Parts: sequence; C-alpha cells; structure tokens
Amino acid sequence: MTFKSVLDIDCGIRFIYDNLELNSSCARKMLLETPMMRSKREIDVYYGKLNQLFNKNLAPIANKLMCLKDIETTIKRVAGGIVLDDIELFEIKYLAMISRDVLLLMRDQNITAVNLPDLGDVVAILDPDKLNIPSFYVYDSYSDELLQVRKQMKAIAGYGLEVEGEQKQLLLELQRRNDEIESEIRGVLSGRIREYSRDLDHALKSLALLDILIAKVVQMKELGLNFPSVTEVGETFYVKMFNPMVRKALEDVGKQFYPVDIAFANVPVTIIGANMGGKSVVLKTLALNQLLTQFGFGVAAQVCCVKVVDQVKFCIGDDQNAQKGLSSFAAEMLAINEVVKSLRAGENILALVDEPARTTNPVEGTALVEGLLEVIGRGEGGFVLTTHYNIKNDDVKRYRVKGLMDGVMDYTLIEAESGDVPHEAVSIAQSLGIDQEWIEKTRKHLNN
Amino acid sequence: MPFINEILKYDSLSIVGLEKNVGKTECLNYILLRLPLDYKKIAVTSIGIDGENKDQVTATKKPEIFLREGMYFSTAEAHYRNRRLVSELMEITSERSSLGRIVTGKVRVGGKVLISGPSSGPSLRRWISSARNLGVDITIIDGAISRLSSASPAISKAMVLSTGAAYSSNMNTLVQKTKFVVELINLQLAEDDIIEAFDPVENGVWGMDMEGNVIDFGLTSSLAVASLDKDITKGMRYIFAAGALTDRFLNLVINSGNIKNVTLLVRDFTKIFVNEMIYRNFVSRGGRILVLQKSKLVAVCVNPTAPNGYVLDSDILCEKLQEAIKLPVYDIVKNSYDI
Repeated sequence: MTFKSVLDIDCGIRFIYDNLELNSSCARKMLLETPMMRSKREIDVYYGKLNQLFNKNLAPIANKLMCLKDIETTIKRVAGGIVLDDIELFEIKYLAMISRDVLLLMRDQNITAVNLPDLGDVVAILDPDKLNIPSFYVYDSYSDELLQVRKQMKAIAGYGLEVEGEQKQLLLELQRRNDEIESEIRGVLSGRIREYSRDLDHALKSLALLDILIAKVVQMKELGLNFPSVTEVGETFYVKMFNPMVRKALEDVGKQFYPVDIAFANVPVTIIGANMGGKSVVLKTLALNQLLTQFGFGVAAQVCCVKVVDQVKFCIGDDQNAQKGLSSFAAEMLAINEVVKSLRAGENILALVDEPARTTNPVEGTALVEGLLEVIGRGEGGFVLTTHYNIKNDDVKRYRVKGLMDGVMDYTLIEAESGDVPHEAVSIAQSLGIDQEWIEKTRKHLNN
Repeated sequence: MPFINEILKYDSLSIVGLEKNVGKTECLNYILLRLPLDYKKIAVTSIGIDGENKDQVTATKKPEIFLREGMYFSTAEAHYRNRRLVSELMEITSERSSLGRIVTGKVRVGGKVLISGPSSGPSLRRWISSARNLGVDITIIDGAISRLSSASPAISKAMVLSTGAAYSSNMNTLVQKTKFVVELINLQLAEDDIIEAFDPVENGVWGMDMEGNVIDFGLTSSLAVASLDKDITKGMRYIFAAGALTDRFLNLVINSGNIKNVTLLVRDFTKIFVNEMIYRNFVSRGGRILVLQKSKLVAVCVNPTAPNGYVLDSDILCEKLQEAIKLPVYDIVKNSYDI
C-alpha cells in the first residue's frame, strides 16, 4: 500500500494530503510513493524525527526547500557518464548549494532528522570564481584560451552591429572555437561531478524527506494533531478522536464537531445508534487515524494508542457498483467477502464495514450481520461495523451513540448491551421538518 | 535617437504589433541596441516565438534578436541550448512552455538567441517580479498579435506600438485603424476616488449612483446583459465592466437614453472589444469611457512594407499617422537612426 493508493479511501485522508504544505515537487512525488509502515519500530523512528523537529525554527529551512527542484534525471544522467549541458550543470550546482545551506541551518539547531552529505566539493567545482551565487556558465576562468576567444568576440560583436566580410568569418570561427572549448570543459566538469552522483542523489532524497517532515509538523500544529502511541499487540484506543475534514465542513456552516472516545482489540465491535448520530464518521475517522499513524502523520485524537496492521479495509457500501454493473447489494456482499477471506487467512487487517446488508430486508439483513460476526470471530487486527439491526451475538463489543437528548444530538459513544437498538428514526425525521401527515401516519403504524 | 530617453522613465515596456510582419522585431532590436546598459539593467522576453529567421506563417525574412553583454533574457530551454551567444544561466523558472521550462540567462558575450518566454498575464507578472529580484530596472516584453494582455498596464507601464502595411495596405484605412487603437490606449484615467472604489472589483458589472453608492448588478460579465430585465443605466453616474467591454454592452448604453449621464469604466484598454463604428456612434452621442489603469504610449513605429511586397510611401505614411494620432511616428528601418 503506497500513500497514493490510499488517497481515494473516503475517510478524509485526501483532505489531509491537500492541506499538507509541501514546498517541493520531489517531496510530493516521494510522499505519494511512500509505502505504508508496518512495524512499530519503523513508525517509532519516524515519529522520533517529527518529534525532534517539533519545537525547532523550521521557517528558514522551509524557505530553502522552496527552491528545491526534482533533478533525479540529471543526476542519473551524470552518473551514467553523460556530459551535462549548462542547464543541467546549473541544476547540480543549485542542489549542491541548497544542500550545503540546509546542512548549516540544521547544524545550528542540532537537527539530525535527515542525514545530508557535505556537497562543498561540488559547489567548488561549479563555482571556480567563488562568487557563491547560484548561477552557472562555463566561466572564463576554466580556460585561458576561452578567455582570449571571448575577448576577441566581444571586440568584434560587442555592440550588436552587423559585421560583414572578413570580420564576419572571424566571428563565426571564434564562436565555433568558443563552443568547442565550452563542450570540452563541460565534459571535464561532468566527469568530476560523476564521482559525487551518489551523494547528490542522497542529498536530493534527504531534502525531499525533510520537506515532508517539516510539512507534517506544520500541519500537526495547524490542525491540532498529536503523536500516537504505537503497539503491535493489544488494544487500539482513541480519546477525543475527531475528523479534520468533517470538522472543517461543520465549522464552515457555524457548527461544531463532537470528539468521541472509542477502544477495541480483537473482539469485533458493533456501533449502533440513531440516524445522523455520526456512526459513519466514527468509521471514517478510525480508517483515517490508522492510515495517518502508519504513514507517519499527526493523529486526529487527543490521546491514542494504535495497533499496527498490514492493511486497512474500508467497506462503505456505495462502491462504484453501477460502473461494475452490479447492484448495490451485490457489490457490498462481494466487498465484505474479501474482508472475510483476509480475516480467515489470518491476515492482520483493520476492517471497517458501514451498515452491512442495509439494502435488504431487516430479517435477512440481521441474520447476515450476525452470521458475519460469527464467521470472522476474533481477528488479528480489528473489526468494526455499524448497523441499525438488533444483533444478538455474544462475543461482540457494543457501542451505542447516545443519541437525541432533549432534541439535541449527543454523539458520545457509550458501551451498550444486546438489544439496545435505539428507536429514534421518526423523531429525527420530524426534526428535519418532513411532511407532518407522513409522521403521524408512521406513528400510527408503529403503535399498531 | 528618438524615444529611448522616454522609455528610461518607466520600469516596464511592452512592444505590441497590430499585425504580424509590421516590424515589431526591428523595433525591439532598435530599442535593445540603444538602451544604456551602463546604468540600467534590462530583461527581455517574448510571449510568442521570436527571433526566428523566418516568419512561421508567411515565410518572410525576419530579423533576429541581438542581445548585448549584461542583458537578461528569458526563453524556453530548447532555445537556450541553441543560443548563439555566451550567457550565464541565472534561474530556471517554474513556468513551462511547449519547448520546455523557461530559463533566465545573463549575456556575457553579445549575440543572437531565439526568445520564447511566458505567455499568460499571471506568468508575465511572475516573470517581472523574478526579474526585479535579479535587480533588473526595465523589463521588456515582446507582445504578439491578438495578445494585447501583455500590453496591459498591470504588466507594462509603457508601450510601443508597431503598425504597418501588413495591417492594411490602404494608407487611409491603416491610419484610421491605427488611430482607433491609439485612441483606446490613450483613454483618460478616472478620478482617484472612482479608481479606489472600483479597483478591488474583479468580475461582474457594477455601478455607482449619484450619491456615490457602489452597486453590484449581479451580472457575471458584460456579456450577460442580454438577460437583463431592467435598465441598469438609470440613475447611475458610473458603470464598471470588470471584464470585457463588448459591442452589445455599448449598444445597451447607447439605447438607454442615459448615455450623456453615465460614464463607462473599464480596467484598461485591453478590456475593450468593440467595433470602431459602434464606438464612434457611442462617442458622437455623448458617451464617455474612462480607465482605471493606463499605460503610456511612448511611440508608434511603422513598417511601410507588407509581406506580399506592397510598399507604402514611408514619409507620407509617417506624416499622416502623426497628424492623426498627435504622437511621433517612426520608420525605423528607413531612417537608421544613430546609436
């Protein structure tokens, strides 16, 4: 699973990505190709780097990284023995100078989050006049002959007037000689830089990584994300968990997001609760936070401990079934079946299923969900589903959304007993202002 | 050495040809050859491919652009690689064209180069600001036909207009058509408080009533006037079209009966897309257009030779045009002015 492959999971991860202020395109490319981390050790080391950067003054480094260009191709070319042109030599010099400057800024603040090679020698090769400016051409000082040729060229053509006859021939000859010497020098320079191609490649990757780390730290502060605890055995829990995307959408219309607490281990979890009680948001946020942890972002909860899994499977129901020519029921069943297969094979996955069998009749629907919970049993990772059905299984942890309290939705999750399915659909429908006669008729049917 | 001193008063210049082959590149070379580089840093770019030996449409011979030592230029990397001068690469910009990234070089030994730089308004603005970061005093943009946006005062404070037989080979028509463009370029600025009121408006059609209240008519652009069910000119002192000013909109004002009471405002002359006949009708009936931003037309250059070989009399053309537009007119090729 690369970061790119999880971006389309409808849980708010794209919101996180879109709000990440990366300075360079190579950082973006690197992030998208990052594989998901799957061991506590790896994740802990990564958060250690973020933690080291957390209270540092990162703005000057970020400013330097804004100028970082993706010159992977150029580095590959020089490593392969190709003679670089002026534009490519400029790119190499530019990278070497940024790397040198960032290294100094990091040393000032004792930052060791990335390991940058010293590219001072490369700068020296491409800056023979020690001007210390990030520009490049085949400098006069590389060759005495070049200097002489150019002096003569200037003398003839310096004013831009058209020259004729002998003078014109001489100018053409000088131009030809100038080009010849220039390309000889480029050959020598490229050969010398070739020795540093591994360092250059390492510097480019380290700077891209540093850009990602800085962007993540900045985002943690902006969105109020926190460092998670990570475990390979035991319980996953979140205290005051929130979804940044949903929170933003609510704040835009003047509403507030209510954080929730939740905990689960290898016993399957069911979440029941009224419509509009935030059950789906809880599932989305669980998926989001699992991904944030295993891709090394700040996590959207005040305190949390996350158990590492190999994969996150999120079945939300409306899985583009029309495109596949399947009914919504068929698409859903097949998607859940994949989860069942994985769990049976003993895979360590976090499976999140939103209202399974919701599109069929409640009798069979309930039976399907009960059957599902029995067949998956105790999985390695975690299994959470939401439902409106009254599920009677024993080996299940139940949560219920508190629901309407005095006409106001309380989104708190409380642990519940079997048979505790709320009956608030009609009240909620009424609060939406739907047709009064419809409500009355419905109530009459319920009472019968 | 006409009009060079005038250019030095501004920090940005655009050179715009009213048609292909009106001598714009010669005009550019004329200026580039004469600007004093000892105390001014100059940067040049072009919004089309420029400096090619032959015109890509009519296959007529075109002069190449010659750059002198110390000048800055921005062009696509493909052209940079084929330059025939010695230059120092100063910057690889984030702008792209079909010929690769746009790069900026500083000339070390003068020579010739093809120039093809950024072309959109925003990218030109970014180019100007990055040139300023390199310490450039005057930015010069070689504009292209039907891309007047490069001459917008938001991008260039001064402009040189190129016209000639390629635009029309009938001398009277040429003078008249050029005069119309010059008239639009020279439209008067609105008063400061009016500019201040409308300057932040980015789109739509807005008005200001007699009491000075600014009103949004809720139109997406002046093109949407057909959907109006009321007379928006009624009781208005000013109407501001933030986008394009079109024939239809002008006709609406002409037929409203309020033409003498209301003044039309546009951001600058590049936003005016009206037929000359309709404009003349508008003006003769007492209509008035003012602009929020204005660029200074420094000079008009003419090329009396059309690509089909037709040649107008240079002296008579210059004289007639000069009389019509009340501005100095130059035939740069014929009168090879001193350096």
